[in-house]
Amino acid sequence: MLDLLFDGWERPEVRRPFLFVLFFVLLFWLDLHEGALGDGLLDALGLGHAGLEPLARALPAALVSGFLILDFWLISFLPLLWQIAVVWAELLGGFVLFVYAFNLDIPYIVVRLPIMIGTGAVTTIYVSAASIFFASIIALFGALARLSKSGPAFAIATFYISFFRGTPLLLQIFLIYLGLPQFGINLEAVPAGILALSLCYGAYMAEIFRAGIQGVPHGQSEASTALGLSRSLTLRKVVLPQAMKLIVPPTGNQFIAMLKDSSLVSVMGVLELMYLARTQGRAGFRYFEMLITAAVIYWIISFCFEMIQARIERHYGKADRR
Amino acid sequence: MIRRTFFTALTLAAAVGLAQAAVAPSAKAGATLDRVMQSKTLKVATDPAYPPQSAQKPDGSFEGFDIDVATEIAKRLGAKVEFVTPAWDVITAGHWGSRWDLSVGSMTPTKQRAEVLDFPAVYYYTPASFFVHKDAKYTKVEELDGKKIGVCAACTYEDYLRGTLKIDAAGVPPFKFLVKPGEIRTYDTDLNVMDDLRLGDGVRLDAGLSALPTVQGAIKSGYPLKVLGDPVFYEPLAVAADKGDAEFDAKLKSVIAEMHKDGTLSELSKKWYGVDLTSAGG
Repeated sequence: MLDLLFDGWERPEVRRPFLFVLFFVLLFWLDLHEGALGDGLLDALGLGHAGLEPLARALPAALVSGFLILDFWLISFLPLLWQIAVVWAELLGGFVLFVYAFNLDIPYIVVRLPIMIGTGAVTTIYVSAASIFFASIIALFGALARLSKSGPAFAIATFYISFFRGTPLLLQIFLIYLGLPQFGINLEAVPAGILALSLCYGAYMAEIFRAGIQGVPHGQSEASTALGLSRSLTLRKVVLPQAMKLIVPPTGNQFIAMLKDSSLVSVMGVLELMYLARTQGRAGFRYFEMLITAAVIYWIISFCFEMIQARIERHYGKADRR
Repeated sequence: MIRRTFFTALTLAAAVGLAQAAVAPSAKAGATLDRVMQSKTLKVATDPAYPPQSAQKPDGSFEGFDIDVATEIAKRLGAKVEFVTPAWDVITAGHWGSRWDLSVGSMTPTKQRAEVLDFPAVYYYTPASFFVHKDAKYTKVEELDGKKIGVCAACTYEDYLRGTLKIDAAGVPPFKFLVKPGEIRTYDTDLNVMDDLRLGDGVRLDAGLSALPTVQGAIKSGYPLKVLGDPVFYEPLAVAADKGDAEFDAKLKSVIAEMHKDGTLSELSKKWYGVDLTSAGG
C-alpha cells in the first residue's frame, strides 16, 4: 500500500492530479469562495456572488488549485537556486496578502517605526546579545564542571542546570527582580533581565556544550596527552575547536529562541520590541498593526542572524570540506 | 589551583549575600519622602496599556489622566516626574525597594492589596459598565444572566462577576450584584475582551465588563461595541505607595486633598474623560 503511494508520487501524471484534488478539497472546505480572494476571482470572471450555482461556488477553489499545480510544474524547469528563490518569493507574497486582508492602518505603523526600531529592536538585540555572551561563558564552565571528577563541582553544575531548566523563565525573572532586593541587592531592570536570561539559557547551553565536548572522540585527547600537551592546552587547542562544530548549530537555535524570550523582561518595564508593540498598539486600539510590525522586525533580525550563523558554521566546518 | 580560587570566590559571594540579608534594610519611616526631596525626582510607575488613563505616544513619551495627575503631584512636591513601566502585577506585588516611589495607576484600594501597599488618597472614581456587541439585542444588564462574559483576570471586574467584590472606601455608593454569568472568561487585559467581542455577538463572548471610559475609548476608535445600561458600580481609585512610610503618605494625602479642593482634578477629569469623575456617582 505504502509502496504504491511512493511509486505513484514518483510519476508526475499520478502526482499532479492527486495534488490537484487535495488542494481543491482543502480550499473548498475552507470556503475560499466566501473570502476576499474568492470574491476577487469571481468578480474578475464577471460572476456575481449572490445565488451562485454550486459549480460556480467551486470555481475559485478549482482555479487556485490549478494555478498551484501549473506553478509547481513551471518552477521545475528552473535551476535549483532559482526554484528556491521563486518559491520563497511566492510564499512571502502569500504572507503579504494574508496581512493585507487585515486592512491595516499603514500610517499608524509608519509614525511608530522609529520607536519600534530605534528603541524596541535595539533593546531586544542588545539584551539578547549580552545574554547569549554571558550564557556561553556560564555554559562552558557548567559543562566542564558537569564533566569534572570533582564532587562539589559536579553537584553545583547539575543542581544549577536542573533548577534553571526546570523552572519557568518568567519566574526566574521575578525571583531576580523582586526577590534579590529583599537581600539588599537592587538590580536595575535591564541587568536583571540579562542576568535571568543568561542563567536560564546558560543551563540549556551547558548541556549543548557538554554534548559537543563528549562528541569529540576520546582518542583525540588521548593522542594530545601522548604528545605531552597539558590538560588545558588539550582542551583549548584540540577538543574545543572540534566541539564547536557540534555546538554552533544548536547555539544558533538558542539565540533565535532567546530573541523572542527576551520579551519576558518587559514585565520589569524594559521597553523592548514586544512591550512597545503592545503599548503602541493599545494607545490607539490598533493592536494588529503593531503586532505584525513586531513580527516582521523579529523575523528580519532572526534572518540576519541565520546568515551570520551559516558563516560561523562554515568556519568551524573547514576540516570536513573536501 | 584554578578550582580552589573559584570556590573561594563562590563562598565569599555566598557569605556576603548572607551578611547583607542579615542587615536587609526594611522601609524606614520618611525614607521615600527623603529620597524624593533629595533627588528632586518623583519616580512614578505607570502601565501605559490603558488609554485614556495612561498610553504611550509614538515618540515614547506618555499621556493620559494618570500621567497628568502624577505630573501635578510631583510639581506640588517640588520634584521632577519620571515614569517607569513595570508590569501591573509587579506594581501590585509591592516590595518596590527604592525602584520607584509612587503608583498613579487608577488602582482600586482592595483589602488584599492594602496588605502590601499603602493607599494615601483616593483621587477619582470610575464607573464600571457592561458592554455588548453593537448588533446585540440586550436592553438591560439583567438579561446577561447565564451568558459568557469576559473580564480582565484578577481585577475588580472579575470580583464583581464572581460576587466577591468588597469596596470599603468612604463615599462609595452601595451596589448590587445584578448579573449571574453562565461562564466567566478571564483575559490578560480588558482590551483582549473587546478584541474577542468584536468578532460578533456570541461568537466567543456575549458581553464584557470594564471601566466605562475604556469602553468609550474603544468605541471611539471604531470597535463595534455599545454600553449596556447604567454603570453597575463605582470604584474608588487611589494613588499607592510602598508600605511603611507614614510621612510620605501624609504628604500625598494633603497634596491630593488640595488638588480636589482647588478643582485641578475636576479639570483634568473633564479634559480626559469629558465628565467630572472626582466624586462617586458623578
